[in-house]
Amino acid sequence: MTDALLRIEDLRTVFRSSSGDIAVVDGVTLDVPRGKTLGIVGESGCGKSMLSLSIMRLVPQPGRIAQGRVMLEERDLAALSSAEMRAVRGSEIAMIFQEPMTSLNPVHSIGDQITEAMRAHDPKASDAELQERAIEALRRVRIPSPERRFAEYPHQLSGGMRQRVMIAMALSCKPRLLIADEPTTALDVTVQAQILDLLRELQQETGMSVILITHDLGVVAEMVDEVAVMYAGRVVERGTAKDIFEDPQHPYTIGLLGSIPRIEEDRERLLSIDGSVPPPFAFPKGCRFNPRCPFAIRACTETDPPLRELSPGHRAACIRAPVELAVDIAA
Amino acid sequence: MSATVQDLAAPVPAEAEVAPPRRPGTFARLMREPVAAIAFVLTMVIIVSAVLAPWLAPTDFFHNDLAQAMAVPGTEGLPLGADAQGRDMVTRLLYGMRMTLMMAVAAVALGGVLGAMVGFAAAFYRRADAALMRVMDVMLSFPAILFGLALAAIFGPGLLAVVLATAVATVPLMARIVRGAALGVMAQDYIEAARSTGMSDARIIWRHVAPNCLSSIFVFTTLRFGQVILLGSALSFLGLGAQPPTAELGAMASEGRNFLFFAPHIAIIPSLAIFAIVLVFNLLGDALRDALDPKLRV
Repeated sequence: MTDALLRIEDLRTVFRSSSGDIAVVDGVTLDVPRGKTLGIVGESGCGKSMLSLSIMRLVPQPGRIAQGRVMLEERDLAALSSAEMRAVRGSEIAMIFQEPMTSLNPVHSIGDQITEAMRAHDPKASDAELQERAIEALRRVRIPSPERRFAEYPHQLSGGMRQRVMIAMALSCKPRLLIADEPTTALDVTVQAQILDLLRELQQETGMSVILITHDLGVVAEMVDEVAVMYAGRVVERGTAKDIFEDPQHPYTIGLLGSIPRIEEDRERLLSIDGSVPPPFAFPKGCRFNPRCPFAIRACTETDPPLRELSPGHRAACIRAPVELAVDIAA
Repeated sequence: MSATVQDLAAPVPAEAEVAPPRRPGTFARLMREPVAAIAFVLTMVIIVSAVLAPWLAPTDFFHNDLAQAMAVPGTEGLPLGADAQGRDMVTRLLYGMRMTLMMAVAAVALGGVLGAMVGFAAAFYRRADAALMRVMDVMLSFPAILFGLALAAIFGPGLLAVVLATAVATVPLMARIVRGAALGVMAQDYIEAARSTGMSDARIIWRHVAPNCLSSIFVFTTLRFGQVILLGSALSFLGLGAQPPTAELGAMASEGRNFLFFAPHIAIIPSLAIFAIVLVFNLLGDALRDALDPKLRV
């Protein structure tokens, strides 16, 4: 894990409110390995989308990055001027969003929108050249007859096609990092699989790194090399996909895994984690997961555990790890 | 209705997937409404006759025949009569419309562009929003007539004063309309997506925000056009606007006022023209709003 393309160091993103700053991303340290896929997993409200927007420096008002560094190789993105950051967006880091239905502007043809995105980073290119590159981008995301699609408008395309267009747009400037924020959540299952396959193929072709943000552990199992589990604005567990699925150490991860139906098990009820993620202004004292944790002991309400290395590359933020928690819960 | 049922029952043609049937465009929907169609045609007639005034006018602009002074409409060779200087009312009316429309176009264009810029800036840069919109509120609280008086005092009465006064009165209204429309667009995902591709703010506004605000801008412009004509005519009527011998509808009505009892047509004809133009533009604006409103689309 030494070869990181992006290294997030102690990042804290806060929203200003009348009762002081509220941290939605709170002290996250995370490496994104070069050429691999990192999955960021967690429930709604755990800060995973805010983390990705922080990387892009697109946190909506009144939010801001209060502390920490986002190192893209040698450069700290958090310290760039907004013009320098704009040059990074799209060309070095690109993003695709959850809602392909609304992420394209209805008044422009998709070809226009792709060429527009490319023009932002290549103002000197001629229209003909951009058009050719846009059609090539559409072809790369396996859109049939891209020449014709080029002139079509978003309403003429299905959700899956639109997500392909979004991917084509994101990849049109050959970014080194693609952030995919729940790219398949709004799509139906068969289309989901196609889009995920496409993302994987494109990653292998281009060698880019991918951050895949999702709450769907099935997607994670299928797609990613490494996983970061987020809870309440923090990374609570970090490891390879194998570590996380076969030997989860944080009770939250265990809970998430327990809530997936398994075809080989004959269980009446799925496990669930009681309650929901506390809102950022009401994080409990000590470990933020302690009120929902079946393994919580008194110490958990007193100390906030840092990420601890349990085995090489596998870290968890739990004072009770490593106990064989998984065994307890399966019983 | 039966046609619709038939359409539904008809087998889907093979090309349906390739080229989905086009929804009738805005213009087609506009023309389906009789009132809208009439308003549109009349607008075109007004614009064309104003533009072509020098060619359509039966007499030269400066031609007068004092023997025909205050001739009533219907007099031989003078279908709308003549004014106090014996000038053909048809000529005066055509040139007057031309001047009034030019004034309104200039005022709406100037005020509209400035207002739209303020509105986009306020919607896009939320920090500047409160400050910009309070300035607009202050401008809104100034009566345009008062502002016209002040400008006439500075520049001397003339069309420039009228155009500037009505333009200034248009800025805050346009700013509010555009800000409201732009705020709605700014909340759309494609704005965030555009930002994530590294587009500059100006390009995002121009390429993504503005086109989606166009229908609001279009409707407001049409409605405002009628109001500006009324306002400009009022200023001219007060003697702040067009000066003789320039023909301008408000100024013509003002001149005719002196003869209201012996030759009422001199004041009534330009007044009716103002009335007709404003009415037609308002009808067109209303119809456009309906035609452009996606919720009312059938």
